Amino acid sequence: MAKVIQRRSLTLLERSYLWEIIKGMGTTFKHLFRNFKNPEKMQLMSYPEVEVQTPQNYRGSHRLMKRPDGEPRCVACYMCSTACPARCITIEAEPSSDPRIEKKPRKFEIDWLVCVFCGLCEEACPVDAIRMDTRKVAISHYTRKEFIADMPRLLNWDPKDFPANDAQSQKAPGGKQNQQAKQIWGLEVKHS
Amino acid sequence: MIDQIIQMTLNLDMPQMSVLEWIITLGKFAFVFIPLAFIVVMIFMERKGASLIQDRLGPNRSALPVFGGLRFFGFVHNFTDGIKLFTKETFIPTYAHKVWYVVAPGIGFLVAFLTPAVIPWFAPLTWWTGDHISQVSGMIIDSDTGILLMFALSSLSIYGTAMSAWASNSKYALLGGMRATAMMISYEVSMGLSLMGIFLLAGSFNLQHIVAWQEAHVWGIFVQPVAFFVFLTSMIAETGRAPFDVAESESEIVAGYHLEYSAMRFGLFYMGEYAHIVIASIIIATLFLGGYAIPFVSTDLLRAHVDIALALCLGGLGTMIGGFHLMVRRWKKVYATMGAKDAGTRNREYSFLQFTSGVASPVVLALAVAVFFLLNPMAATTVDGTPIFPAWVSIAAAAVQVVVLIAKAFLFCWIWIWVRWTLPRFRYDQVMSLGWKILLNLALVNLVVTAIIAKLVTGVR
Repeated sequence: MAKVIQRRSLTLLERSYLWEIIKGMGTTFKHLFRNFKNPEKMQLMSYPEVEVQTPQNYRGSHRLMKRPDGEPRCVACYMCSTACPARCITIEAEPSSDPRIEKKPRKFEIDWLVCVFCGLCEEACPVDAIRMDTRKVAISHYTRKEFIADMPRLLNWDPKDFPANDAQSQKAPGGKQNQQAKQIWGLEVKHS
Repeated sequence: MIDQIIQMTLNLDMPQMSVLEWIITLGKFAFVFIPLAFIVVMIFMERKGASLIQDRLGPNRSALPVFGGLRFFGFVHNFTDGIKLFTKETFIPTYAHKVWYVVAPGIGFLVAFLTPAVIPWFAPLTWWTGDHISQVSGMIIDSDTGILLMFALSSLSIYGTAMSAWASNSKYALLGGMRATAMMISYEVSMGLSLMGIFLLAGSFNLQHIVAWQEAHVWGIFVQPVAFFVFLTSMIAETGRAPFDVAESESEIVAGYHLEYSAMRFGLFYMGEYAHIVIASIIIATLFLGGYAIPFVSTDLLRAHVDIALALCLGGLGTMIGGFHLMVRRWKKVYATMGAKDAGTRNREYSFLQFTSGVASPVVLALAVAVFFLLNPMAATTVDGTPIFPAWVSIAAAAVQVVVLIAKAFLFCWIWIWVRWTLPRFRYDQVMSLGWKILLNLALVNLVVTAIIAKLVTGVR
């Protein structure tokens, strides 16, 4: 049953409007005085001088994950570019030199001016090759061409910037689990 | 000598004036620039007041390129704004009426130069020249028309608005101009009528006499509180500021009458609006807050103790600089803990400001003490029962009175900003009903009640 809210009619003092104005001005003056007295208590950040720490699961600009030997993990299956609603991903495939893998990308480009940062590409990827967890949200360049991120740029990231418990990132060259992962990867090559 | 030349060339019947009188009479014209000087401070005050009310810091990034960038907490933005407005393209729409389009922005700005002429900036200067008493009025135009002349001049600014609206040849601009004109007509009535009470009490339209009456009796705000409220509201409406800024309400008619204007032509509208606020503040301070008068201190008492007054003024300035010093020190500490990339640069700037204010404050305070002990107003010579002081005492007292008037005007400027950032905009019909149905009636009732009480109490007028 719907609840009927009884609207209270305004009192004479409220209808005169003047007293309510004085109360409102009191509120604004309270804010002014408080912020003047304690500027450090204002909930603000001196951006861009102070870095904004976005959470790890925030969808920022993309990166391509790397195998332990530094090759892109992508298998050029076109799943991400198919899933992409903005059609911002351009992939060109070529045969892989690794006998265990069929294809690898010759060209992998993301147009950040077209991208809507929906995250469907990382959802679609079957091999966890594309991620959006770089936490870089302010993408600014001078020309349109610079907004098209090619493969070297997407691969240019450092495992040190990612948490230690992120195993897939730490397996890349320079990561904490790289040696271990390299051994496993190399052994498998020997046996195949 | 000057008056002799003028008398010879123009064949006018001029009073005999000494050189000092001529200097002061001509120097008074500098007061027309006071509203402009106010604008610079007021834009800064508006930005900082707004930002602190809304829990933010406000614009503070533009810097003077000395000492690695002096920001002065955003004060430099005024000058960068000026550079921007002056160097932008001055665009004229194809279908605009070229002549009126160009002329219109100047009118509102011109009024800002005219209206200070009738404001009494200080009590009439009197001094003994040796054989007679010299007297110079505190107003540029010492006329008994006084406030009426002021209203006539300040009403002219609506011509600028209406003309710009029509010349722009744009629907939105025209709507804005219509609204501004309608508001002007509505609020001018209650504005004029609300002041009739105080004219009745003071018995004059001359602002000098009104201030003198307040100095002798009591401030206008205490005898005419309703008139004060009505006049303040009408003046806020008159200047077209929130909550009465229907003439340029951006949610309905984009920007109103100055929609088609860019660059310095827009800048003139912008500055004209602020100048209008400053002038309105000075008028309210003059009419209701005793103008240049200090409470419980008459002009003669001020002149007799001008050393104390000057010392207090300098002491106040020194204390304010000291307060600024403490504020900078506090903010320097706060900024150092933020972990900003430019912490070094800012630390250097804040250290510079801290050092400068830390040196300036004791110097000014020492100057205040020196003035208190070293300055000695000469004893007054009594002529016809009124004490007459030397010229420099009168001029020093006048300087103190100008400072007092400006301080009071700043108080009202702040009320303008405070109201703007507190209240939402009225709807157009609400503005009209408030003007015609409430304020006008309040002003009329106030006039009748004041007349009856004045008749009963004084029995004269």
